[in-house]
Parts: sequence; C-alpha cells; structure tokens
Amino acid sequence: MKLRSFIPAGFLIGALCLWEAAVRTLDVPAYILPPPSVIFAAIDRNLFADLGYTMMEAMTGFLIASGFAFCIALLFVRSPMLERGLFPIAITLKTTPLVAIAPLLVLWMGTGWWSKITAAALICFFPVLVNTVKGLKAADAEYYELFRSLHASRGEEFRKLRIPYCLPYLFSALKISSSLAIVGAIVGEFVGATHGLGYLIMISSSHLDTDILFSAIFAAAGAGIVLFHAISWLEQRLIFWHSAELE
Amino acid sequence: MKTSPTLACVNGAPLNKGAPSPTAISVNALHIRFGALTVIENMDFTIRSQEFVSLLGPSGCGKSTLLRAIAGLIAPTSGSVRLGDVDAVESKQDNAGLRVGLMFQKPLLLPWRTTLENVLLPVEIERGGSRVDDIDIVRAKRVLSLVRLTDFEQSYPHQLSGGMQQRAALARALMSDPDLLLLDEPFGALDELTRDALNEELLAIWRSTETRLKTIVMVTHSIPEAVALSDRIFVFAPRPARLAKVVDIELPHPRDQENMAFMQSVSQVRQLVRSLS
Repeated sequence: MKLRSFIPAGFLIGALCLWEAAVRTLDVPAYILPPPSVIFAAIDRNLFADLGYTMMEAMTGFLIASGFAFCIALLFVRSPMLERGLFPIAITLKTTPLVAIAPLLVLWMGTGWWSKITAAALICFFPVLVNTVKGLKAADAEYYELFRSLHASRGEEFRKLRIPYCLPYLFSALKISSSLAIVGAIVGEFVGATHGLGYLIMISSSHLDTDILFSAIFAAAGAGIVLFHAISWLEQRLIFWHSAELE
Repeated sequence: MKTSPTLACVNGAPLNKGAPSPTAISVNALHIRFGALTVIENMDFTIRSQEFVSLLGPSGCGKSTLLRAIAGLIAPTSGSVRLGDVDAVESKQDNAGLRVGLMFQKPLLLPWRTTLENVLLPVEIERGGSRVDDIDIVRAKRVLSLVRLTDFEQSYPHQLSGGMQQRAALARALMSDPDLLLLDEPFGALDELTRDALNEELLAIWRSTETRLKTIVMVTHSIPEAVALSDRIFVFAPRPARLAKVVDIELPHPRDQENMAFMQSVSQVRQLVRSLS
C-alpha cells in the first residue's frame, strides 16, 4: 500500500528526467522550454510572496462565495418562488465568462486585491449553489414524511435532516470551486495587478523569462492540488458515514 | 387503557376477542384525489383498538396512501379519517388524540447518528431542542433492548445489517410511545428468515405491557405474512382501487405456518386476491 502511493511520484520524477534529458540533448532554447532544473532554480522568495498573495485572494473569495452560496441555497430550498425567480440570474452569471467580466471588476475596484477576491468569488459561487440546492433536496421523500409524522418544524427538518444530508454534495462542490478560485484570482491579476502569480506570469512571459513563467505555473497547479487535498481530508473526517454508505 | 395480555389473550386466543374494545380508527366516505387521479374512492371501515390489521393487495391500489391518510400526512379530498374521536390531520397538528408511530420499508435512519441517537430523534423533536435528559436515554435503552439491539447502541447505521436497521427503525417508532403503529411493508426488503423473526418480535412487543401500543395497521404484499400476524386482512383490488373484502383470521397465536389450518387460510386469501385482480 505504501509502495503504491509512491507510484505516481515515481512516474512524475521519470517524466521530469526525460524532459531534462530531451531539452539538453535537443538543445531547445531556454526561452521556449527550459529544463526542470533551471525552473526549480528560479523558485525564490518572490515566487512564494506572489503565491501567498494569490492564495490569500483565492481563499478569501472562495470562503465568501461558499458561505454566501450556502445561505442562498437555504433560501432557495425554503422558498421555491425565490428559486424560480433568481435561479435564471445565477445561471446567467455562470454562463458569462469570467475573463469578460474581469476588466470591469478592475475598473470598479482598482488593481488591489478586492477585484481578485471578487473574481474568485464569482467563479466559485455557482458550483456551490447548485450542489447545495441539490443536496438539500436529496433525502428520500419518506424522510420528510418521517419528520412530519414526528411533528418536526421546518427549522428542525433543516438542522437535523437536510443540512447534514447535504454535506457530501457541498464538499464535492467545495473541491471543484477551490481550484476554480485560483483560476479566478489569476484571471483578475492578468487584467491589472502589481502582485500575485497572474502578475508574475504576465511579466515573465513578456520578458521571455520562461523559467520564472514555468515556476509560477507549477506554483499555481501545486496550490490547487494542496487545496483539493486539504478539503478532501476535512471531508473524510466530517462525513465519516458517506464513504461507508457507498460501499 | 391497555388490557393486560393475560386478560386479552387467554390460552392463546386471538387478542380481539372478549369485551369489544373501543374504536381506534374510523374511515368514513373517504375520497383522496391527487389532481385528476382518484386514489381512494368512497372507503368506509373501522378498526378497533387491540386489533392487528393488514392491508393486502398489489401495488397501486391505494394502500400506502390510505396509511398516510391515517397518519394524518395526507388530508382527505372529502370524507374523514378519525383516530379515536379526533380527526387524523388535526390529531397530527395538535398532538391530540392517539399517538401514532410510523415505519417504512426503508429504515430511514440518519447515517450520521448512532443507533441510540437515532432512537432519541422523536424525543428531541418533541422537546423542540436537542436536549434529552437521562430519563429519555434510559427509555431509549429499554426500547432498544425490546428490539434486541442493546449491544449496538453506539453503532452507526452502516455498521448494522438490514434486519438490525429495521429493528432500530422499529425502536424509533416505539420511542414516540404510540397507541397506534402504522407500518408500510416494514420488513419487505428483508430476507424471509429475518422477516419471520422480526414479525414474531413485533407480535411479542404488541402483546407485552411494556408499551402503550394497542393497534397495528400494516401494509404488506405477502399473504403468509398477513395471515401470520393479522386479526383481520383488508384485501384491496386494483382498477378501480378499492377495499374489496375483509377477511377475519381466527387462528390462535402463536400461528404455526406449517399448520393445516394456517395453510388453508393462506390459500383461501390467495384465491380471493387472484379472483379480484
């Protein structure tokens, strides 16, 4: 079992070695494709500072959007009228590409972090909303009959049935939107920023500092993976019953 | 008041014999429509306290709907369902009249709660908070011992077998201390051996003085099950859905399924069901 968990790492190292060897023997110019060793050498304190900046924006946007989407979902399930009226707006928001809105956000909120936090929040909002609404309605109809037969109030039905029942749905949305949040923050930084991975990517690509460009791409990917696994870890601890139920 | 089992069941005689017991459920001119679909049309019957009644018939003839109307979950389109002398829907809303326990084919346990916490759910909701006191816990443990789950109080539903999950669901239904237990194919998803064992336990709990439980109404698809448990079988027929016939089962308890009289009753009911569909 321990050995098996090293298999992906082994393949990754193999691929990097192959890359290194290919670039060196074929004499590929460093501004097109630098070898991994050069990319790793380009990792410095500035990269981590930019990574931290982007992560802060992404996480803040992610948390705000998730909390907000969860509350909206509760309202939607509580009031079908509200759902029917507002859901089309949510879909419109979802289908409008974030890259199209990002310049507007920078225009309104400036090049500081609020435009990036908003971009991250906009992209996170929809998956959490849709999945939470679905999860809150997912319990069998007979569960509601049981609760009604016990004279449960609507509040109790939410607290003791709908919300716990919805947690597995919520968490699969959180896993998706955590990586989307980083995309949102970087897109915001592309449009106008003075810090962050998106800024670093823009600057290094225009200076043909391809090694720095690659290090920023790796950092963004790594951040997404770490977030995903952090949320999976929390999910397994919080929703101990779900994986067992599915077996 | 519950008659003690020694009075009601002398030498294994059926429970409904002896002094006539009061009416538990009365259904008068009941119509239930969902939009254009008529599910129950002009139904009349009464069920006495101390009775075990099975609702037997193929799917889609309104048995489950009737059970939900008795539980007060569905309001009649016209006519009435009364529990004791209170309307079923009002009885549900005001918590007046008979106390009703409900159990379905699926156990419907909450997977994030232990068996004990699941059984405490009705009390929590009745108290209106999450507070339960030591007396509730003692009572929950006693109910769990009635369904023989004492060793599984701290287990989660996914750690229990199908039969144990249904036992836990029965314990939860008993936790509301019902006068009337409504069962919708309670053991229908279980294998035959487990089902027979649970039916025996259900009868034992019904007869015991441990609970207030007096009346049981059970929806079933199984003719032998209906004959094994019931004082009366209400046979439903499809197209149009109706209560076609009421069969009295006067066999003494405990009912041996290998017994000639038992098998005769089963085949009698089976022929009746065939002739109706």
